[in-house]
Amino acid sequence: MYQVIENTTFTIAFICYAVSALLYFVHIAKLSRQVERIAVGATALGLVLHTIAMGARTIGAGRLPFSNQYEFALSFAWGIVLSFLVLYLLYRYGAIGAFVMPLAILVMGYASLQNKSVRPLMPALQSMWLTFHVGTAILSYGSFALACAISVIYLIDLKRSDERKILHDSETSDMLSYRVVVFGFLMLSVVIISGAIWAQKAWSRYWAWDPKETWSLITWIIYAIYLHLRLRRNWRGKSAAWFSIIGFVSVIFTFVGVNILLPSIHSYAT
Amino acid sequence: MNTRRSPLIRFASSLGFAIILLSLIAGYIVIGTLLIQHAADAVYLERYPTIGPLILALGLNKAYSSPLFLFLMVLFSINLTLCTITSLKGQLIQLKQDYYPSFTQQAYTIDGIDEAAFVAFAKRRGYRLEEAGDNKRAAKYRFGVLGAAITHLGIIILCLGGAIGNMSASEEMVNLLPGGQSRFEEEGFTITLDDFYLSFDDNGAIKQYISEVVITDDGSEPTAHALWVNKPLRHKGVGFYQANWGWVNNLVIIDTESGEKRVEGMIRSGKSYFDQQSHLTVYLYGYYPEMGVGHNQEPVKKSERQIDPYYAVILYKYGQNIGSYIISPGEHIHHENLAITFTHSVAYTGLLVRRDHSYPIVLTAFIIMLIGLVVSFYAYPRFLSYADGVVTTKSRRNGWIFHQSIKSAFARKR
Repeated sequence: MYQVIENTTFTIAFICYAVSALLYFVHIAKLSRQVERIAVGATALGLVLHTIAMGARTIGAGRLPFSNQYEFALSFAWGIVLSFLVLYLLYRYGAIGAFVMPLAILVMGYASLQNKSVRPLMPALQSMWLTFHVGTAILSYGSFALACAISVIYLIDLKRSDERKILHDSETSDMLSYRVVVFGFLMLSVVIISGAIWAQKAWSRYWAWDPKETWSLITWIIYAIYLHLRLRRNWRGKSAAWFSIIGFVSVIFTFVGVNILLPSIHSYAT
Repeated sequence: MNTRRSPLIRFASSLGFAIILLSLIAGYIVIGTLLIQHAADAVYLERYPTIGPLILALGLNKAYSSPLFLFLMVLFSINLTLCTITSLKGQLIQLKQDYYPSFTQQAYTIDGIDEAAFVAFAKRRGYRLEEAGDNKRAAKYRFGVLGAAITHLGIIILCLGGAIGNMSASEEMVNLLPGGQSRFEEEGFTITLDDFYLSFDDNGAIKQYISEVVITDDGSEPTAHALWVNKPLRHKGVGFYQANWGWVNNLVIIDTESGEKRVEGMIRSGKSYFDQQSHLTVYLYGYYPEMGVGHNQEPVKKSERQIDPYYAVILYKYGQNIGSYIISPGEHIHHENLAITFTHSVAYTGLLVRRDHSYPIVLTAFIIMLIGLVVSFYAYPRFLSYADGVVTTKSRRNGWIFHQSIKSAFARKR
């Protein structure tokens, strides 16, 4: 029964996200507050259904859905949408949804291509650190996706006249992107540190240079460079936007590429 | 301040140098994930005929312990240490109560604010308020300026912990059968395996590997402990980790003419026993605790549960295969005057034993790093000034966000 609930709510959430993405584009084109409100409503409804799908999975599996590619993609998309809605509640920039929701849809599409069967947790994953480690990874990756979307908006806005800009002004998108990267970076630091502490308990070492953890470190270094250049060299605008996009490419490679291309002790996450 | 430092120190502590080093380290470790590590030299020379010698010369086959990588890490640690020390003086100045930044550059303004409202707001939000001539100014979270230094300190301690760990840690594997012991002379204790068993999920997948051990300190009463994956055991600075396991199988060969037991001993799957007298080799191809049959009629292991156990055995004589057999425990294979059997199998545990005194250092580094990041990003110094109905907000780290939060707070009040 839980599987039926999960599949049904997953599908409807996917549709809600697709509809909301279209509506955000309409909002950008027509600058209609009404359309924006409907789009946000559709996103919120999608997130509620998405949460129900994750809840059904949690009850069905007897644990949080954090242990394989399908489950992580499901949670990753949830993290992206949640990050967007939190940002919307803080700053009311609905137009960002036009660039964030397609990312969430892509990740959900990727999830739907994965093996959905519920498998028992292997011994190495039976730890309270799993929830903390993967939970913070979802928030981190979700934030980086959001920052990437805002950076794309920044680059598009550079070529638009003031009255046609997607966000009010370029500084807004530049600063928002930075703000979101900061949160994502802090969460990524927690991900890496919690993973290291967990690895020490499970395998005796904090760090084993496993491809997944190495690529997480590479992503961390990319964002660390971004933050240092920004804070110390006042590095903003176009270069910062491109850096944020490159950082997200590294996030995606860490999530998908490493699992597919590089053998890893994180291979259970497939 | 900088002019008094030598150009070398200035460069070694500079952000530019840090960015170069971070980029080199990132690039280097990418290579480490793409190249197979710790393979024989011949593998690299064969697989990469052109760049193979370069890979070996640069130590990319052992990327994370190569001198080049260690050199980069040492340079990075020096850079971070120098950067932290040289920045500290300026940061300590900013901690003083009379320090205020210039409100004319990179500051944002909010018009039409009543002075009383500004004072009430600043007090309510915990700002330290003071008079500045005819105007007012306020500051909060001055200590936040130390966030970066705290984070850097955490990373420096982490590098130090990593170096200590690499230099002093030791690791070994101890395989034990129930009743088996291992002695730790230096620490003065003995570990005895009381029992080792697996727990299973309903579908037969292994749920957990559990070793029940008894530790006996010299001159003390024994104490019982259990360890499993994710639950290591630490005793007198020695860590025991559930890292491996396997089956050993009891081989018995009986001389049917005399009725005497010719040999009895434990062997693992994939190993063989050679009987010199008969020139017979008994090769245990595999042990199947719950056996199934695969697509090509090969035996397959359905699970590790000892539900329906079988042994796959191949006999060789003078190097020639003379027969393959699937036998249950106690079932005999008869060959000439010999009866060959496997009576039972026992699981052994593989414990990884590690001595590493860098744990507390690394853990401390992690905590300091996280505190530093939180302070740096969320307790950054915030400054406000008030003059003629205009509030000016200033924060070097987060100017726009800080301004937005102050603006919306005043908007709500209106």
